[in-house]
Amino acid sequence: MSQGSNSDKQDDHRPRINPVLAHLEAIATGIKWLTRKPMTLMYPDMEEKKPEYFRGFIIFNYDKCIGCSLCAQVCPPRAIHMYRVPGDKRIRPGYDAGRCIHCGLCTDICPTDALDVSPVHDEVFEQIESMDFDPVEWHIISKKLVEEHAKRKRKLVITRVDEEVGLRYEPVE
Amino acid sequence: MIGRELGQREGYRVVELYIGPQHPASGHMRLVVYLDGDIIVRVDPDIGYVHRTMEKLSEIREYVRVISLIERMTIIDSCNITLPFVEAVEKLLGVEAPPRAKYLRTILCEINRISSHLYGLGIGGIFLNHSTMFMWGFGDREVFVHLASLLTGARLTHTYNIFGGVRRDLPQGFRDEFLKAKRYILRKLKDYDKVFFNNPVIRGRLENVGVLPRDKAIAYGVTGPNLRASGVRYDARLLGYAAYSELDFEPVVGKYGDGLERVWVRLREIEMSLDLIEQALKQLPDGPIFHERYAKMVPPAMRKWFEKGRVKLPGGYVRLRPRKGEVFSRGEMGHGEVTYYLVSDGGMMPYRLRIVTPSARNAIMFSILPPGHTLMDLPSIYGSMDYFPPEADR
Repeated sequence: MSQGSNSDKQDDHRPRINPVLAHLEAIATGIKWLTRKPMTLMYPDMEEKKPEYFRGFIIFNYDKCIGCSLCAQVCPPRAIHMYRVPGDKRIRPGYDAGRCIHCGLCTDICPTDALDVSPVHDEVFEQIESMDFDPVEWHIISKKLVEEHAKRKRKLVITRVDEEVGLRYEPVE
Repeated sequence: MIGRELGQREGYRVVELYIGPQHPASGHMRLVVYLDGDIIVRVDPDIGYVHRTMEKLSEIREYVRVISLIERMTIIDSCNITLPFVEAVEKLLGVEAPPRAKYLRTILCEINRISSHLYGLGIGGIFLNHSTMFMWGFGDREVFVHLASLLTGARLTHTYNIFGGVRRDLPQGFRDEFLKAKRYILRKLKDYDKVFFNNPVIRGRLENVGVLPRDKAIAYGVTGPNLRASGVRYDARLLGYAAYSELDFEPVVGKYGDGLERVWVRLREIEMSLDLIEQALKQLPDGPIFHERYAKMVPPAMRKWFEKGRVKLPGGYVRLRPRKGEVFSRGEMGHGEVTYYLVSDGGMMPYRLRIVTPSARNAIMFSILPPGHTLMDLPSIYGSMDYFPPEADR
């Protein structure tokens, strides 16, 4: 292969480097960044305020639902299934949170805003069976999660792009 | 790593070495390396460990559900990989996205490209034991993941392009946030040069290692930054899909085709992408972000969401029936060129969706680059290639 000659014809975008100075420069740059603030979000202690329309747990309002089943048809991983609820003539959607990929297509296609996105993204369930909700359970858990999320006592921060360190987190009152 | 002795070959002892399949970097794949002493004689890439039958699965899903399926091939680059598919279906449907939607697609594509390149540089850095590059690459990628989450509402799997437009309008304050990010990353790229590109250790590991000459790169069908590093001016964006035809750019083309040149092309492409986003934000036209035909079908009570910058889909959107036909479409991803061949029989689901991803085309480089190098050069060749196994296996 004719690869040996490349180091001789140096281009302007690959200048020949001084091995000693370049090492020192690399170390100096590393030390410069040691003095800057890190861009880490200390997550369990502080929580990021999510941007508008952040696609977290899908919340369901039973009273607004008209039972058109569009959400179940559009759902890519088939996380939404239609159920028969005793005492209700229409079919209603139930939700398997374990299958959900949070694409939010169901909330976009819902003709009555019965489904909506929420910023809840870190809810923990103890058993895999407890992640599968029938329509009534889904309505109840949606209400509960949204209320609990509003009452969280963690320090809430908002993420901003910073020219010096990349990202910084400003406290939200 | 497992090795065994294969016996004599032309008087030399040859050792067969298995690297993988549990891979420490970007996904499961295995390299079978044949060694003569410390010199690599032959490498067989053994791919397919993360095969998920994407092509077959897309045949049993309605068109709108296919979008969020195929973006799982490369979740780090999900806008770029879905855009050619969406444009192919749009061609069959006979709709065209409004100009504003095209610009928004371009903006998200370039944000994705930057984060994909930073991911690749970070992975390339940790292959060479350069933890600083790994941390910096992944940390700075977070800035662009944040910008994408402002625009789309999701950090990685955006599902942003839909047939006839995009799903969210540009949020308020996005321009300021982007300009700050641009100034930050341009300053940081100078430090990347000092810490990584001009670092004597990295120069020693990458310079003249894994040289891919121009003729070989064309003959083997290598694509993306790896092709441009070999001196070929080829970029699928020059075809002018989305809003690229209205933006002014010139692809970054390297010269030498070695590992260092591939890193250089990626670093300079980040600068180019920043420039493209700024141009797109400046020229961003006003108007709708969703095609008239579908926007009209949305129930009147839901039209209020369009004013708030959020698209609502009509009920018939699930049962889209593109006309019978075959479409070929392509687009430039962070890793290279992605190609779709869509066959529609007029039904609700694709009859056949053939996908050729850039990593699948670049996998050939594992066979042609390492022979002749020492075993120590194998990670640096792999790292400079920005190979992404889940994308290659589909």
